[in-house]
Amino acid sequence: MSPGESAAASPGEAPPRVARRRVRLARGPVTIGEPAPAIEPRLAGGEPYRPDTIADGGSALGLTVRAASVRGLHKRFVGGPRQDDLCLRVHAASRTLIAAVADGVSGAARSDLGAALAVRYATAAVARQLDAGSIDWPNVFEQAAWALVSEERRTDSLQTGSLATTLLVAAVSAGDDGAVAVQAAAVGDSPAFRLHGKQYDALVGQPVHMDDLIGGGVQALPRDAGTAEVGDCALAPGDALLLCTDGLALPLAGGTGELGRAFARELATPPDVVDFARLLDFSRSTYDDDRTLVAVWVPR
Amino acid sequence: MKFPGNAPGGASPSSMGGGEPEPATAVLGGDEPTVPSPVAAPPPVAPGAVIGQVLPMYFVGDESHSMSGDPIAAVNQGLIDLRDEVAKHPLIGKKVRFGIITFADTAETRLQLSELSEDLVLPTLAPRGRGTSYASALEALRQTIPADVALLKGSGFQVHRPSVFFLSDGQPTEKAEKWRGRLQELRDPGFRERPNVLAFGVGDADPEVIRELATSPRYGFMMTTGASTAGAIAEFATSMLNSMVASAERLDRGEQTIEFEKPEGFVQLDAPLV
Repeated sequence: MSPGESAAASPGEAPPRVARRRVRLARGPVTIGEPAPAIEPRLAGGEPYRPDTIADGGSALGLTVRAASVRGLHKRFVGGPRQDDLCLRVHAASRTLIAAVADGVSGAARSDLGAALAVRYATAAVARQLDAGSIDWPNVFEQAAWALVSEERRTDSLQTGSLATTLLVAAVSAGDDGAVAVQAAAVGDSPAFRLHGKQYDALVGQPVHMDDLIGGGVQALPRDAGTAEVGDCALAPGDALLLCTDGLALPLAGGTGELGRAFARELATPPDVVDFARLLDFSRSTYDDDRTLVAVWVPR
Repeated sequence: MKFPGNAPGGASPSSMGGGEPEPATAVLGGDEPTVPSPVAAPPPVAPGAVIGQVLPMYFVGDESHSMSGDPIAAVNQGLIDLRDEVAKHPLIGKKVRFGIITFADTAETRLQLSELSEDLVLPTLAPRGRGTSYASALEALRQTIPADVALLKGSGFQVHRPSVFFLSDGQPTEKAEKWRGRLQELRDPGFRERPNVLAFGVGDADPEVIRELATSPRYGFMMTTGASTAGAIAEFATSMLNSMVASAERLDRGEQTIEFEKPEGFVQLDAPLV
């Protein structure tokens, strides 16, 4: 509609019918396979404030980042806090993007706070180490574990392990020559993958095998700080580094099923920040845990 | 046995569109646009495809004559309540599969591993046979569990370690070596699908035997001396339901332990008995 049209209509005369493009919000979750039931979430009203969803992203050092953490359907149903968390940090001097994801152990009383502390302390520790030269992974996990132990002591908690959480940290270095190198380390079952086309290459974290039963105990900070698994890889233009928690890794099951194909297709290029969070919040029957995903792309 | 297929439908999905009205259904997933199939049968699952995660749980109950009257009625009512509560929970029902095996002188599968929906027809347990054979019950589990797990996996499910709730009001009427041998087979670390066993003794059950049946002493429970057997069974059934809900809620953690709280009127057998 041009601005002059409605003004030209004289009083008493019906305004001309103009095809309008109505603003419509696309509602409801992205469904992959059999949908989970639709429920109205309950607010998690505890301390500290834990929003249902976080969505972040942007470009830095020639890399494109998207990051989201969404509360699982089960916690939305009961009004519990999101126990996953993530943190992003740029270390400009070394041209390194630092990212961390954590998954608070559901049996631990304040694991949501544990996850929040672990990602923040770990990324800060990596940044300090880069100031000094290079990354010392065991020390990164020790510092994150120490943050949890200090908080337990500060609150005089009699419950040791009340802040238990997994932790996955990655440092993505964008060299001046265009080469992109990834170093990653993890305690627990939050895995990192390199997405190359349709292929998910496991970097750290245990892959899910259909042959085995699920279960077998979860390693977590602060207790298992010394067990960090370390890996590295190079990212080619078009590749993406994926860091996630098991809320995504379990249904992803190595990436060969319909979920893996859908994510590979949608993440072939970076979606908008909010669309990325919406994709992660997909509906799929029986998968109702918190989900967190950080994706880092090297532009083609 | 009822396993849901991966046919889409039911929710209000949408695609990531712009300003235009959305199509009624836009399902993400699969390489081709998904069209509802005119055939009622669920589509076959491609090898290696994953459509959901499930937790198998078995109730193994004593159906010998000593359970006559109020005790067996309490078991039947407890199973009905369990079905109804799980069926109306929006998230748990799809994640749990429940089976019932009973034993007297022999073991019988009274309910194949099933989804607990409102219209699931439950068996009515009734006293039968002569004797109380724990060996037959344990052997039935050893046979049933791997077959059930294989069927679930073949249908595209990720399967969690099964749990067994074992309830008895008496003592085994066979030689100890016989049931212990079967118990060893069920516990064998080489048995990949070995279940977590929670054991509950009511009436004349032997606390030492109950403790031995449980995978961990903290999973062994004995009715308080002097309590009513039927009342204790009702409490047991409530705890089994709570455990089912709590365990299904925590599935995603991948923890091997099962969530369980001691039922009212029971003592936990993790301390030495005096």
